[in-house]
Amino acid sequence: MARTKEVTRVQELIYEMKVGQVMSTEVITVDLDSQMSNLRNLLGEKRISGVPVMDNEQLVGMVSIEDFITCLADRNSDCSVREQMSRDVKTLYDTDPLVHAVQEFERHGYGRFPVINRETGKLAGIITKGDIVRGLLNKMEIDYHEEETQRRLIDRSFEEIITEKTRFTLRYDIVGKDFNRAGETSSKLKEALKRMGIPPDILRRVAIATYEAEMNTVIYTSGGKLAARITPDEIAVEVQDSGPGIKDIDKAMKPGFSTATDQVRELGFGAGMGLPNIKKCADQMQLESTIGEGTRLKFSVHIKRSEDHGTNNHR
Amino acid sequence: MILEQIVAILDGDFLTRQNHRQKNVQTGCGCDLMSDVLAFIKRDALLLTGLTNTQVIRTAEMADIQAVCFVRGKKPTKEVIALAEEKEITLLATSLPLFEACGRLYRSGLAGCSEYED
Amino acid sequence: MELTTIVETLDLDVKTTEGDFSQEISGVYVSDLLSDVLAHADEDNLWITLQGHPNIIAVASMKDLVGIVLVNGRMPEDETLRKANDEKIPIMTTEMQAFDLAGKLYGLLGKE
Repeated sequence: MARTKEVTRVQELIYEMKVGQVMSTEVITVDLDSQMSNLRNLLGEKRISGVPVMDNEQLVGMVSIEDFITCLADRNSDCSVREQMSRDVKTLYDTDPLVHAVQEFERHGYGRFPVINRETGKLAGIITKGDIVRGLLNKMEIDYHEEETQRRLIDRSFEEIITEKTRFTLRYDIVGKDFNRAGETSSKLKEALKRMGIPPDILRRVAIATYEAEMNTVIYTSGGKLAARITPDEIAVEVQDSGPGIKDIDKAMKPGFSTATDQVRELGFGAGMGLPNIKKCADQMQLESTIGEGTRLKFSVHIKRSEDHGTNNHR
Repeated sequence: MILEQIVAILDGDFLTRQNHRQKNVQTGCGCDLMSDVLAFIKRDALLLTGLTNTQVIRTAEMADIQAVCFVRGKKPTKEVIALAEEKEITLLATSLPLFEACGRLYRSGLAGCSEYED
Repeated sequence: MELTTIVETLDLDVKTTEGDFSQEISGVYVSDLLSDVLAHADEDNLWITLQGHPNIIAVASMKDLVGIVLVNGRMPEDETLRKANDEKIPIMTTEMQAFDLAGKLYGLLGKE
């Protein structure tokens, strides 16, 4: 069938083709001695998620949009590229087959790799998963934009190989059972989103819902993880714990229902309004739980922009 | 109603060092359950509560609450005050119980922040 | 002031079937923390709270409170109502917030 055939062809090509054939040769770099604030335009307007750092034509590190946000989130003042960059840079050679590149993307989870010219040892280009997909499609003479079904097919075969450059995720750990420190994660997230210029109303809704989710994790479990995915359209938060799980989700969603101890109630929480509050703040909410395994809560708040309303202008 | 006036009505004190005496609040809210505070309080409100733990400050931070008044003479720890200062949340304290603090402010014209109003 | 006057003037919804509404109230206590009420409420106080949990009846009974008003549209749990009727402690509800209700009661009791 067509599908199997295409996949096979892709598999052949990723062994045949080399990194140098699909990489971008126009690489934007930053100097080791520049300031993080200089990256704002690069990362914002050009929509690049990571930039190689150069010292005298020598690749010495990478800075990502996450590094940029961490810098903004953790301190008020500017910080230098030198101290914020990752020094442990994974690179690829231009002569490596694509299959090696695909494996490296899977292994490290990075969005991009700098490519080194094997002969000169100098930076020759940069490669993203998107470059690989485009390269393969060009080779197969498939129009990327028109052949919707084949595009999906290939997307699947590489497990979401195409990365949207404007998306990124902030990740935090939530410490369980420590009531005093509860709220630190939500506070960090709120600060980070505030610096990114998220509108106050959206910010407040995300902050309240995140805080309630964090309190639940602290009160009922020994800890968990929070990931906030930011895209131009929404902020999607996922909180996962390996706690005791929720017996009856419908009941848990009912305002006033709670299994909290008296001790927790005396601290001002556990009155059964947490989950209803999250629902109220979020545009979408999903709660999954397995007894003895844990709970996964997802919610998102849409970022409405002014052009969404009333500008449907046909002249 | 400005905070300076509120402190006078409640025979209270400022606990935070920043000079926020002229900060204005429009509504009052007396509550010890933080989820309820998060659910219905408005940005411009003064929260009156008998709780003095860190979570009161975190609640104020998340819901953009400008000022918190601790009632019945309860004083928070230095760490709690420091966190409030960092987040620019003004802290007040009064020895009055919650009933009397709410009563005096209501009678002086501070509105409640009932969610059924707007 | 008798409890019945307060119920009528402030239009509170009575949820219990048992209890004495002719009791005089000595004052009002506003709190959502049971330990706080246990420690600081006075005998014959009217208690204003958001808590609809059955434990409020034990606290009210221990402190000889006149009655409990649940604010912000909060409803007592079934178990709470059952215990309240057993102990003959009136429970009332209102859509008002604690702040507003306290303000109105404060005026009513002439504490100015």
